[in-house]
Amino acid sequence: MTKKVLIIDDDFDLVEAMRITLEAAGYDVIDAQDGEKGLEMIKSESPDLIILDVMMSSMDEGFHVAYKIREDADIKDTPIVMLTAVGNQTGFQFDPGKDADFLPVDAFLEKPVNPKKLVDVVHQNIKV
Amino acid sequence: MLFPETPTFSIASMLRRDKWLIRLRWVAILGLFSGVILLKFIELGPPSSLNAMAIVAFILVGLNLMYLTYASAKKQFGMSNLVILLNLQMVMDLFLLTVLIYLTGSAESPLSFFYVFHIILASIIFPGGFSYLYSLLVVILYSGLLVIEQSSFVEHLCFFNEFHLMNDSRVVIGIWFVFVVTMMVSAYLAQNVTERHRRVRDKLEAANLKLQEINETKTTFFRYASHEMKAPIATIQSTLMVIEDILGTKADPRVINMLNRAIGRTSETIGMLKDLADLTYGNFQEQQHFESLSLRELLVGLVSDAKPNSDRKSQTLTFTSADASFDYFGDVNALGKIFNNLISNAIRYTQESGSIQVSLEKVDLNYVVKVSDDGQGIPATEQVNIFKEFYRTSTARKLISEGTGLGLAIVMRMVELHGGDIQVDSQEGRGSTFTVQLPFEEEL
Repeated sequence: MTKKVLIIDDDFDLVEAMRITLEAAGYDVIDAQDGEKGLEMIKSESPDLIILDVMMSSMDEGFHVAYKIREDADIKDTPIVMLTAVGNQTGFQFDPGKDADFLPVDAFLEKPVNPKKLVDVVHQNIKV
Repeated sequence: MLFPETPTFSIASMLRRDKWLIRLRWVAILGLFSGVILLKFIELGPPSSLNAMAIVAFILVGLNLMYLTYASAKKQFGMSNLVILLNLQMVMDLFLLTVLIYLTGSAESPLSFFYVFHIILASIIFPGGFSYLYSLLVVILYSGLLVIEQSSFVEHLCFFNEFHLMNDSRVVIGIWFVFVVTMMVSAYLAQNVTERHRRVRDKLEAANLKLQEINETKTTFFRYASHEMKAPIATIQSTLMVIEDILGTKADPRVINMLNRAIGRTSETIGMLKDLADLTYGNFQEQQHFESLSLRELLVGLVSDAKPNSDRKSQTLTFTSADASFDYFGDVNALGKIFNNLISNAIRYTQESGSIQVSLEKVDLNYVVKVSDDGQGIPATEQVNIFKEFYRTSTARKLISEGTGLGLAIVMRMVELHGGDIQVDSQEGRGSTFTVQLPFEEEL
């Protein structure tokens, strides 16, 4: 069965770019423009992986969404790849290994998104 | 130039002082006339002296009228001429005051108090140590007067009556009056100096505040611009990469080249936006991460990270320091940016098989880090500009086309964040040395 990837990001063009890459790699892609819609879709569509933009309506909306996913027993095991540009802006570098306690995500992907890296990260983290 | 123009000693301010001096002189002349009339009225002092004093007053009127007419022409005068003119006025005033003192009994005259005003005036009007010169001139004039009188070159004029001064209440009142005038004029002059000083300070403070505001606006703009522009450019680059990926090798190689160049340019732009964001680093407290660290360890790490790049150009890259830990309290991110920038610049602008040295030492209460190379060097005329935002030296532009010209401005910013100082010493064709001084507080 084809694996389903949900992209939660308010940048339409970036979503399209990722969609084209992931569909070419054989994934089904659905998307949501904000955290709230994203959470609804996670429940209704049960994606196999979520790509979540950290910065949408607020600086850290993505983090709040990630926490909500982890708090919900039905969906808490869905892998999350966080899309970030924050690391470059504040000089603050995320390290999923070290910061795993307070950052409930499985991997980070920095913007701009390199298609090969995107496919690699999705491939490595998607639910088997 | 003997009198360099400063905000407090500009031609405009000297002209203002000239007018003020002329106004003060009118007051003095008025006082002198009233004094002579009063003395005549109370029949104190020999009439010949009083007449001579009136003549001095008329001379002063003539002189002051002359100064006044000059004042309108003085606008075209240079600073030095203005200073000479003001000095002439002051010296003339002192000379006439000495004459008045002679006429009122020399050593017996209380008018000698009035010398004090001229010394204060000199310190208000002129820059530097003019008040000392004037006090010297006063001493010379007064001593001269006493000496020529004592040696009987001129006759001593007995202004007051032959009997003991204190026996004549008119004399006591006269001396009291001169004393009161001296105190009040001194107060006025002192107040004037303070006010002048306060005005200048207020102006400077206002200017400083404005500069800070401008700087903050700039910082906010940089932050906003870099923040807002990075996202769309990142998306553009993501899109370009997807197109390149999909087209693969099927497309015309020219199209692929074009796409690669476009991706390269978006990368450059993103790099520049990151640099702009770095320029504002530390302006906002929550961004800073100060911690205890070993400066030596940090530098050893940075040098070994840079080694592959210098090896690629067959350059020797060495690090020297005493065997101590060089404990420092600083921001790791910022310090990394400082030395990374300096080392990578040195590698970039030094020819193949050149050498680059990084050294760390402790000098007094500073850690001094030097990054030296034997590369292109920076022309003396361009050295003053290298820490300015967006400035790139002619050599840098020739050698490497890309580059934002923000690197050293960021370095400067980060050094300032640590209360330090950076200097460059360079000779064209011989190489450059960048010296960073980071002050630290000795632990008690």
